[in-house]
Amino acid sequence: MTAVVPPTAAPAGRVSAGRRWSRRDLTFDKISFMVVFLVIPVLGYILFVVWPFIQAFYYSLTDWSGFTPGMNFTGLSNYFKLFSDDIFMKAVGNSLLLVIVLPIITVVLSLVLASLVTVGGPSHGPVRGLRNSSIYRVVSFFPYVIPAIVIGIIWGRVYDPSAGLLNGILTGLGFEQFQSFAWLGEQRTAMIATIFVIVWGLVGFYMVLFVAAIKGIPAEIFEAARIDGAGRFRTALTITIPLIRDNIQTAYIYMGILALDAFVYMSALNPGGGPNNSTLVMAQQLFTTAFTKGQFGLACAMGVVLAVITLVFAGIVFIVNRLTGGTNEVAE
Amino acid sequence: MSITEKPLQRRQFLRGALLAAVFIPATGMLASCVGGGGSTTAPGGTVSAKNPFGMAAKSTVDAVIFKGGYGIDYATFAGKIVEKTQVGSTVKVTAATNIAQTLQPRFVGGNPPDVIDNSGANLIGINTIRAQLEDLTPVIEAKNLEGKVIKDTLYAGVIEPGTFDGKFVQLNYVLTVYAMWYSASLFETNGWTVPTTYDEALALGAKAKAQGKYLFGWGKEAATYYQTMAIGSAIKEGGDEVRLALENLKEGCWSLKPIQDVFTGLKKIIDAGYMQPGGAGTQFTAAQAQWSNDEKFILYPSGGWIENEMKTQTKAGFKMTGAPELTVTTGSKLPQKALHSTAGEGYIVPSQGKNVAGGKEFLRAMLSHDAAVNFAKTTFSSTIVKGTIPADGFGSTALVSQVKLLEGAGSDVFSWNFVDLYGLNTDQLVVWNTFLQGDSSVAQLTSGLQSISDKVRNDSSVKKVTVT
Repeated sequence: MTAVVPPTAAPAGRVSAGRRWSRRDLTFDKISFMVVFLVIPVLGYILFVVWPFIQAFYYSLTDWSGFTPGMNFTGLSNYFKLFSDDIFMKAVGNSLLLVIVLPIITVVLSLVLASLVTVGGPSHGPVRGLRNSSIYRVVSFFPYVIPAIVIGIIWGRVYDPSAGLLNGILTGLGFEQFQSFAWLGEQRTAMIATIFVIVWGLVGFYMVLFVAAIKGIPAEIFEAARIDGAGRFRTALTITIPLIRDNIQTAYIYMGILALDAFVYMSALNPGGGPNNSTLVMAQQLFTTAFTKGQFGLACAMGVVLAVITLVFAGIVFIVNRLTGGTNEVAE
Repeated sequence: MSITEKPLQRRQFLRGALLAAVFIPATGMLASCVGGGGSTTAPGGTVSAKNPFGMAAKSTVDAVIFKGGYGIDYATFAGKIVEKTQVGSTVKVTAATNIAQTLQPRFVGGNPPDVIDNSGANLIGINTIRAQLEDLTPVIEAKNLEGKVIKDTLYAGVIEPGTFDGKFVQLNYVLTVYAMWYSASLFETNGWTVPTTYDEALALGAKAKAQGKYLFGWGKEAATYYQTMAIGSAIKEGGDEVRLALENLKEGCWSLKPIQDVFTGLKKIIDAGYMQPGGAGTQFTAAQAQWSNDEKFILYPSGGWIENEMKTQTKAGFKMTGAPELTVTTGSKLPQKALHSTAGEGYIVPSQGKNVAGGKEFLRAMLSHDAAVNFAKTTFSSTIVKGTIPADGFGSTALVSQVKLLEGAGSDVFSWNFVDLYGLNTDQLVVWNTFLQGDSSVAQLTSGLQSISDKVRNDSSVKKVTVT
């Protein structure tokens, strides 16, 4: 940019960068505007976001125990250690499983519900949702109002093998094999049971998000589609989804980031990582490494790996969306 | 041209700001890493019989106490004693539940408290900070407030758990007796006798099954209580060499014959179906209530805290009583009555504290007869100070049986540190839950535990403690 501008005095009719910011222009209004809307937020961002990131990366290259003022620089050895640690790799695998499965289930389910309560109603009269859809909308939002840790504790009790609600109902219905069945203690069910709880807790929120997006689509488009003979499924697939794809992308990324964390749900349901570490996630392993084992350097390296995976995930979602014909803007 | 230039300029400004964001803190950070750690010790007072550590006159003691099952009132009580013996001093007792998270910044900043009760689920791993702690030998060699040398007033085996590489850095205040707990009244009505070996336990399992009860049960966060019992049994069976092999993370330590025999004995009980099923999915206090309240299973291996923990969920007339952990044969190297006992609630005094002498003085007050009796009376637990429990145990059968177990064991008291020292419990829980559930063999259990030990042994960044 600067290469284009001649080094000598700017030719007439052209205002150089230097001239534009002459002292005369810096009125109180401009300066106060810049301070309030630019300098302060940037400083805050640097102090509370950028700075901790850099610190964490630096610590990941050391053997810091977390309780000493000093530390030794050890290069990349923490990273080598991580990738040869079978338990951490298992945690990475579980987190990746969650990041693939959770957003799909949650987004699809909440899309279906959102379509039902907005455009899935009777096929005569104006386009509207099912009867009493406002009640469903409120009810499905309930779980989101409950804090995640409470959801975890409640479901921990529901899944209790001997006194839990779930086994009580199942054995009451005559499924005797569920007598004392440990939903969270069996390797083949622990992860599924956990995923169910997370979906249960969040589907209402994403449903409301999609309802708002669908309401933003002019009703005439749906009416036109209906006149052309499109059924409900066809309408959802070729009208609704393309028109709210930015919302879906945003929801997908948010849900993915939540899946990569999942710390609260996991530590409430299976604090120890579950049977054979089948529900252990990176955030849990990070926490134990830092505070129980006193290896903050190694824990910081885990944090860096988690951050990289999160960025890669967001990148993949953007690329996929772009390749399939969407814009690259994240809708708010 | 001038129109397109505008946004570019703004962008360049932002880009510059971002660059600054990256580079300015980087230099500051390198500088800050070196900082911290300046210790300022208060000017010492005169050492006298009443002030053995030379605590400065009218100084303040900063005590951070873990607030868990025991509360912090007992520490406030001890603080009052310090204020009385060292006239003019003040003791500030602060409660904390997450010790590691709360105190980490103070350790890094070089201004830790003068005395800490390092306990609870989020305690600071002692291996991480032991280099920064005071040697507490002078405390136990000093005279207590009644004029007796403190060392002589303590139970056997309470100094060793706090000693690492010859330096006594952690004073564990609360005595913990590990045993197999049962309801004396339930056993009496059914005419059962308490088993002493794994074979006897298996036979008792059959009798319990006939009454519709299980022999053992467990909760998912407490599956390693069975590891604690198994190690205790194996040490009794094979003597000190078993303990040393485990403590020093020896290659193949879990394959030693006494350990294998114990695992096999346990496996027989599991395979016979004498374990309350579903433990791997049950929250541990809920599982314990199945024992103390519903009497669904009849024996539970645990530490002496179990009575206090289950106080509100114990059946009336339960008469909780402890029995020594099982042995494999009757010809074990240590007597059957030998006891796994250690002490918990680790009190530490950081060397960088402002009032190190005050921290030690606080511990001396804690170890006085009055403070120890007060603790036992209010918490139904024994401190490491002898002779503080009356014959009726303040009405607690469990407390009485703890004292009995200790008297029965005499000098045959042992304990180990490696699980807590290297923070292995989380990893071991996984292996044990699988085993107790009946989903893994003795060989799988052994190789699982061995690989956890091996990982620490082969990790050069973990400082090892050699136990002899």
